[in-house]
Amino acid sequence: MVHKNPHDEAPTRLSLRDVNFYYGDRHALKDVSMDFADRRITAIVGPSGCGKSTLLRIFNRIYSLYPGQRATGTVLLDGQDILANSTPVNELRAKVGMVLQTPTPFPLSIRDNVALAVKYHENLSRVDVDERVEGALRQAALWEEVKGHLNKSALSLSGGQQQRLCIARAIAVQPQIILMDEPTSALDPIATLKIEDLLSELEKRYTIIIVTHNMQQAARVSDYTAFMLMGKLIEFGPTERIFTDPVEKETNAYVTGRFG
Amino acid sequence: MVTLRQRRQLTNRLMVVLSTGATLFGLFWLGWIMLTTLRYGLGALSHRLFTEMTPPPGSEGGLLNAFYGSLMMIVIAIGIGAPIGILAGTFLAEYHRHTHQGAVIRFVNDILLSAPSIVIGLFVYEVLIRRLGHFSGWGGGIALAIIMLPVVVRTTDEMLQLLPANLREAAFALGIPRWKVVSAVLYRAASAGILTGVLLAVARISGETAPLLFTALNNQYWSGSPSGPLANVPVVIFQFAMSPYDSWHALAWAGAFIVTLFVLGLAVLSRSILARGKVRQ
Repeated sequence: MVHKNPHDEAPTRLSLRDVNFYYGDRHALKDVSMDFADRRITAIVGPSGCGKSTLLRIFNRIYSLYPGQRATGTVLLDGQDILANSTPVNELRAKVGMVLQTPTPFPLSIRDNVALAVKYHENLSRVDVDERVEGALRQAALWEEVKGHLNKSALSLSGGQQQRLCIARAIAVQPQIILMDEPTSALDPIATLKIEDLLSELEKRYTIIIVTHNMQQAARVSDYTAFMLMGKLIEFGPTERIFTDPVEKETNAYVTGRFG
Repeated sequence: MVTLRQRRQLTNRLMVVLSTGATLFGLFWLGWIMLTTLRYGLGALSHRLFTEMTPPPGSEGGLLNAFYGSLMMIVIAIGIGAPIGILAGTFLAEYHRHTHQGAVIRFVNDILLSAPSIVIGLFVYEVLIRRLGHFSGWGGGIALAIIMLPVVVRTTDEMLQLLPANLREAAFALGIPRWKVVSAVLYRAASAGILTGVLLAVARISGETAPLLFTALNNQYWSGSPSGPLANVPVVIFQFAMSPYDSWHALAWAGAFIVTLFVLGLAVLSRSILARGKVRQ
C-alpha cells in the first residue's frame, strides 16, 4: 500500500456531480459528488445498504440491464458525460472494466475467457491476441499457473484463480478504470492476500475503484477512501486521514467499529 | 391414551407408506407395460426387425421402412422445430423476461403446448396435404415440428432464465453486445438444459400417431424420400394391431417395445447430460 502525501499531484480521472440513483421509486443515492484520482486506488466503504455497490455500478452503466433503475446527474470521464445516452455503452464498458464479487468464469477455455472481449473490440491477428492474453494473465499474476493449460476449461480453476482470471479478462481490453465490487469477499485469506498484492502493481497502470465492506482491507490497499452512509457521501479523503483522523462523527463511529 | 408424539409418529409412518405405495403403484403399470410389449413382441424381436420391410398380411418381415420413415420425420421435425424454438425461447428470456408482451407470448405458447395433436395433424392436412394432392412425409415432419416447438421454446426460456445474474453481468461488463453475450457465453452455459429440452421434445413426438394419419399416412413399400406417403412406426402399430394376422400382431408389439425403449433411452440420456452439466459447474 502506498502512503500518499497530502499534496498528491494526481490529476482527476473520473468526476461525479450531483449523482442520484433510483431503484424504481426508491432513492438509493443522494446528490453524490466526488473526484477520483488518476492511477490511484480509491476504496468505497460503508455499512450494508449504504449504496456503495450502487455507486460502483453507475460507472459502467451496468444498471441499464435492469428496467426501472436509473441515474441522474453528471459523471465525467475524459470530459465525456458517461451517463448521457449519446455515449455508446459498449465503448464505455471497454474503458471501464468490472470485477464482480463472486468469481464468474465463462464456461469456455482459459484462453477464450480472456480473448473473447479482445476479439470483439479489436481486429487483431491471432498472434497479437495471444500476446494480449499472455500479457493480461501476467498482470493478473496467473500466467505461471496456467501457461501450459490455456485450453483447459476455466471452471477447473480454484476460486482464487478464477477471480484472477476475471481480473485478467477485464485487463485484456486495456481499460482505463477497473471497478471491483468486494473482489475478495468470496475467497480464502491466502487468495485474498494474492489479490491485494496484485492491486499495488495494477495501480501503476489503471485507476482502481474498490468497494469493500472490510475496513482493514481498505486501509491496507487504498490511497483514498470514501465513506458512505444511507446513500450519501459522508466523507472523502486520503485513506490515512480517514482512518486516523476523520472529520465527520459518522465516519469516526464507523472506523472505530461502533457500527458496521 | 395416545400422546401427541405417538400420533405424530403414526402420521409420519402412514405418509411414508402411502407415498411409497403410490410410487410403487405407478412403477407397477410401467413395468407391466414394458413386460407385456416384450412378451408379445419377443417372437418378432430379431435382427430381421431392422433389416426387413413390413410384410404383406400373413408373412414374416420386419419394420425397416417404418423405422427409417419415423427417423426421417423426426430429423425433419428437429431441423424445423429446434432452431425456431431455441431462437424464440432466447427472445423471450433475453428481451421479454418481465414484459406484458412476454407474458402473452408465453401464454400462447402454453396453449400450443396443450393443443391436441390430432388438431395439428388436421391443420397440416388442410394447409399442405390437400394442396399437394397426396400424403407426404414432409407434412408429417412439419406436423411433428409444430408439436415439438412449444416444448423447446419453454425449456430454452426457462434454462436461460436459470442462469445466474452475475454471469450475464460479467459478460455485458466487457462491453460485448447482447447477441454475442447470448451466443458466446449464455448458450454455452445453458447448453445442457437446452439440449435436454430438445431431447424431451423428441421423446414426445416419437410416439405421436394422430397427426401422422393425416399427413404421412403409411407406406408398405420402401420409400427413401419424404415427398410421398412414408412408413412410420406408430401408424404401422395402429394398422397391424387391428388386423387379424398373428405375424402382424407380433410386429406391432415389437415396434411398441422398441419405441418405448427409445423414449426411455432419451429420458435417461437427457438426465445424464444434465447431471454432467452440473458437475462441470
